[in-house]
Amino acid sequence: MDAAKTLGKTLVASPERQLEADTDMEIVRRVQEGDVAAFDQLVLKYRSRVYGVVYNLTSNREDAADLTQDAFIKSFQSINRFQGQSSFFTWLYRIAVNSTLTHLRKNRLRTFFSFEKINTDDKVSAEVIAALTDDNSADQETFARELQEKLNEAMQKLSIRHRTVITLFEIDGLGHQEIAEIMNCSVGTVRSRLHYAKQLLQSELQPYIRR
Amino acid sequence: MNEAPRKTTVTLEDLLRVKRAEQPPAEFWSEFERGLRTKQLAAIVEPRPWWAPLIRIGSRVSRYQLPVGVTAILAITLLTVREYGPVASNPVFEPTSSETASVPVSAPASERSNAAEVTATPSVSGAVASTVAAEPASAPAASVARHEPAPATTTALGSVSHVAMVNAELSSARYAADNLASVQPTDPELDQMLGRTPGSGVRNAPQSEPLAQINLSSESRSQRLLAGMAWVAPSNSGDSALRTNDHTARHLTERRLSESDVISRLDVGGNRVTVKF
Repeated sequence: MDAAKTLGKTLVASPERQLEADTDMEIVRRVQEGDVAAFDQLVLKYRSRVYGVVYNLTSNREDAADLTQDAFIKSFQSINRFQGQSSFFTWLYRIAVNSTLTHLRKNRLRTFFSFEKINTDDKVSAEVIAALTDDNSADQETFARELQEKLNEAMQKLSIRHRTVITLFEIDGLGHQEIAEIMNCSVGTVRSRLHYAKQLLQSELQPYIRR
Repeated sequence: MNEAPRKTTVTLEDLLRVKRAEQPPAEFWSEFERGLRTKQLAAIVEPRPWWAPLIRIGSRVSRYQLPVGVTAILAITLLTVREYGPVASNPVFEPTSSETASVPVSAPASERSNAAEVTATPSVSGAVASTVAAEPASAPAASVARHEPAPATTTALGSVSHVAMVNAELSSARYAADNLASVQPTDPELDQMLGRTPGSGVRNAPQSEPLAQINLSSESRSQRLLAGMAWVAPSNSGDSALRTNDHTARHLTERRLSESDVISRLDVGGNRVTVKF
């Protein structure tokens, strides 16, 4: 199993995660006491992950950038009300996901795609693309773009909630419990949505699946 | 050199891993940082909307949803009961009235008023008794006496509805009495029908109470009408008046009298009297 996924599934219980949560809480306390610059550490630490989630939900890089910035602004404005009942990471994710869901509902009829480039240094994605194409690198590049479009199309066919669950679980590597906390629903609901979303994606991406 | 074995199976999870590899370039983050700074400054400078504190209060209150909700429901219920619950505030009226039943409907109004006062036993419904006693003697008494007495096995619910009916009748009787009082001085014809001396302006006897007369049986009603005509008749010749009375009495059948409760008009002409129902 993938290391990131393993980390995601054991985030709540693992000592590493606990240590990380304690570090975050320490920074939050400093911000609450007036050390505003300390908030930059939190931005640097989580901006990439938050952006990744929002981007995979919207499939639009400009919207994703705006929504990620808004999530950090909102968390900065409300940091005095954060009492540490959940980890800062979960709280920040919840803000980002809720902002994104509101944005998607408002602009349901207006959907524009603008994709990031696939990072060719990523070993797993390079293997997948190589398995689906010939060795010709020009073909691989074209195929990678086509696959990216199909993947995003398939994701956009999911409902907002199903898309959120599949993004947080499969792409961001969070566990069921954490997703349930972020989406404010039960673990059973998360599992059920995940199952349904996978079924839909499986049927949409059938031509690219090799057994 | 050995090459790594080429991947032959591609699952859905593998495909989704490709999406994970969609990453922005390094220069994107410097732009992102600049945008974030601008927004942060704007958020500090721009005034917060007037409803922002309300949201803060709401989020604090939301922790106590259950107690706050229960308190609100109780308060609303209490207010509603206090404002719109007259039945709950009135004591239950239970007519034990063998006495009421024994009072004949056609009895004089004064007797009936006494009966009504007897009916309201102090032990059961003192408040109702005081209400009835506070009313003008004959009108409420008549309306109370008109009611059929409830059986001894009357349920509490029946008693409550009975009280409501009595209250409604008391108010309607009062209303009718007021109307009659305001009309009588200007309408001598009505005075005649009610058996009063025209122009006296004062009620002579309890028998002339309008509501009491309405409650009379059809027999007494016909007698009253004939008496009214007899009062008119002396102005004409004796024989024709007698004939007219007989003729009218024949046509005042029981059925016709019971068809209508209201005499709309009494027309007196040369040697004939027309009563329209």
